[in-house]
This record gives sequence, C-alpha cells and structure tokens, in this order.
Amino acid sequence: MECSEAREQLTDLNRGRLGAETAEAVRTHLQRCAACRSALQTEAEIRALIQARAPRYAAPPALRRRIEAALAGSSPPGESVTHDAAARTRGIGGRSRWRDWLRGHPWTLGSLAGATAVLLLVWAGSLWMTRDPVARLATRAVAEHAEYAKGLMQRPAPDPLTVVTELRSQAGFPFEPVFRGDSQVQLVAGMVSDLLGKRAATLVYRDGQGRYTTLFLMPEAGTMIPAEERMPIETFKPHHRVTSGRHLLLWKQRDLACLLVSDLDEAGMAAMFLKVRKAA
Amino acid sequence: MNHTQSQLPAEALGHIDALYNLARWLVRDPVEAEDLVQETYLRAIRGAHQFQPGTNLRAWLFQILRNTFFSLHKRKGREPEAMDPDVLDGMSPGIGGAAGGGRLAGPPDGTAGLDLTAALQRLPEEYRSVVLLADLEDFSMGEIANIMACPVGTVKSRLFRARAILRELLRDYLP
Repeated sequence: MECSEAREQLTDLNRGRLGAETAEAVRTHLQRCAACRSALQTEAEIRALIQARAPRYAAPPALRRRIEAALAGSSPPGESVTHDAAARTRGIGGRSRWRDWLRGHPWTLGSLAGATAVLLLVWAGSLWMTRDPVARLATRAVAEHAEYAKGLMQRPAPDPLTVVTELRSQAGFPFEPVFRGDSQVQLVAGMVSDLLGKRAATLVYRDGQGRYTTLFLMPEAGTMIPAEERMPIETFKPHHRVTSGRHLLLWKQRDLACLLVSDLDEAGMAAMFLKVRKAA
Repeated sequence: MNHTQSQLPAEALGHIDALYNLARWLVRDPVEAEDLVQETYLRAIRGAHQFQPGTNLRAWLFQILRNTFFSLHKRKGREPEAMDPDVLDGMSPGIGGAAGGGRLAGPPDGTAGLDLTAALQRLPEEYRSVVLLADLEDFSMGEIANIMACPVGTVKSRLFRARAILRELLRDYLP
C-alpha cells in the first residue's frame, strides 16, 4: 500500500470502520512508515480536539417551533412567527413559497387576516431596519463579543506585541497604531472576524475584574455612523447605543470604522474609548 | 392537506440542532443560519415524496441543507479569509498545512476553543464541511460523498489535507 492510499484511510482506521483486510493493509504500511504513523497521530489529535472544543450551536427555540409546526402540517413556517422571522422567510423563500403553501392549504385563507397583521409588522420592521442600519451590526457585534469573552475566560494574556504582529499579517489592511493594553487593561486576543460580511481586525481586552471589551476595526468607511445619539467624551463624539445590555460605541478614525463593545458601564466604556482612540 | 407533506417523518425535527450547527459553520451569521435551516426544511417537506422511507433521513437533510446553502449564497462569492480550495485540491496529498497558513494569534495554553473556530473558518467550505460531517456528525465517507456530491476519494483526501492544515494552524495548541 502506498502512503497516499494509507493516509486516506486513517480516519476510518481510527473510527474502526475499515474492513479487516484494508485495516490490516494499512497497519502493515504503518509499521514501516514513520511519516504515516505521525499522520495517524495528527488525525487522532485533530479529531479529538474538534470533538472536544469546536463550538456546537443549538437551534433557537423559535426556529424549532416553526419547523415543528411545518412538519405537523398545521401552519406554514413564518405564519405564527415573530415579525423579524417572517421578514426573513419572505426574504429567502420569496412569493413562490407562500403560493405553494396556499395551494396545499386552502384553509389557510381563513388565517390570511392574521398573516396580513404579520405582514404589517414586517413592513414596520423593515422600515425600522432601513432607518437603523447599524442595529444588525450591533446585534452581531455583541454576539461575537459574548462568544470571545466566554472563549477567553481564564486564559492568561499573551504578549500584546505578538498578538498585534500576527493580526497584522492576517488582517490584510492597515489598522495600526492600536491600543495594546496598559496597567489596567490587558490585550488578550486578536483575530480576524466577519461582521455581516465586513472583515474586521478584532482585538479583545480584559480588565482586572474580568470584564471584557472588544474592538472591531473595519476598513470599509461605508459603515454608516448615525448622526444622532452621540456621546461627548472629551473632544470626541462617537455614536453610542446599548444593545442586549452592553454599551457600544461606533466612530470613524482614519479610514477605519471602529466599533467598541464592552461589559463595562458607561463611565468605564468612556475611559476605555479614550485609551483606544488616543492610541490611534 | 397536501399529501406530500405528511410523508416527511416527524423524526426530521430531531436533526434540527445538527443542521443548525452546520448552518452556523457555513454562513456564520445566526439570522442567516436560521433562514438556511428553515428553507432546508421547507424544501424537504416539498420534496418529501422523493425520500425513500427506511433510507438515511439525516444524510438526506444534510444534503438538502448544503444544496440550499449554495442556491442561497452562490452570489456572495468566496469567504474572505478562507484558503482557495482549487489550490488545495491540486496539492499532493502528502503536503501538510503550509498552504496559505500562518499561525493564529493567541496564547499557547491549550485552551484552543476560540482559535480552533478561527482555524476551521480558514478552511474553504469544501474542507470545513467534510471535517465537521466526519468529526461532529460521524457520517461515513460514503454518506459525506453523497451529501457533498463528490467522489468518496475526494472526501478522503480533503479530510486528510484538512487535518494537516489544522495541525499546522494550531501547532501552538497541540502537543
């Protein structure tokens, strides 16, 4: 058996899914090939790491209810759902889905009054989204922030210079100079993330009390900074909002849109903003 | 009632978490992942007459999910930080992960949760899906080949190469 052939069988060998003959042939090869033995070890390590550490996302309860109703044939998905979910249904499936459902469910006409009400909510919701384009970005940023904070808990802070240097090589756009932490706040991680299709150089900080702040730096100046709800901090006036109980600040510096999400209170957030803003 | 809808077994609901999990790895955004899963079930309900009772419902649903992902997201193009699958496919199967690699930022303390996520996202979708279907969902190579609509040999070589790339990206976190 050649190396290339043996290596393609390693996952199934580790899973005990090879036929006796093939398994024997792979083992015979492994006995005389150190490189493939090493590959077998890699296979097992990576597989174990993924099984132990890869995040597993559970379906939101509202989605489950919609699918359950659809499977029971009791109502078309999206009919009894919240207005934003109905908006999503409409956005993807388009009209054909509703036509299909109506064709299969003539009795559905009776509930059209309810559907109309839902559509009105959808319309109101889409108006709101148009007027507040930052809302989705904020929601996503808070979700990312929470995930980072959870993932980084208990981890010691690495060398900030290394974090920034490696992030620089990954980001593909200039974002420095950037705040690398001080005696009160440590830089604990840097990574490239994706905020609704916007590539962001992301830096996560932690203070002495284990409270996290995440800074997203996006090269697209196209990110809209709302003119209203500005928070005066010294001479600066970033846009300020609270999403899911967390303070967010959004501003523009050089060619970057900057978004700060924090576990800190308003005063703490303002102090953190000054550190970040002045470092740049 | 549309008789085709009743043909989809109620146990289809039992796969929703696994489907949503893969959807999150595919589209990342929670809202888009919900859309993807909902559309997957809608298509499954509409196509229930094509499903053979007694065959693999779970693999069939995953196949629909991935097809739906492509039909909904083909306009968006390739993910910005993922490596090029065509380049990877053309490489010798013996080659490890130096391709477009680069270490991930973070402390080498063994708590790789966050950086493992980043490393998996660096894999092109064709590689990431193979890894997740094999390691998290425990699908056989044949089932993965059906889901991905590619030969079994391609699944095996992608899986091997994906592991070598992950090993390289995560070398600070592994013994």
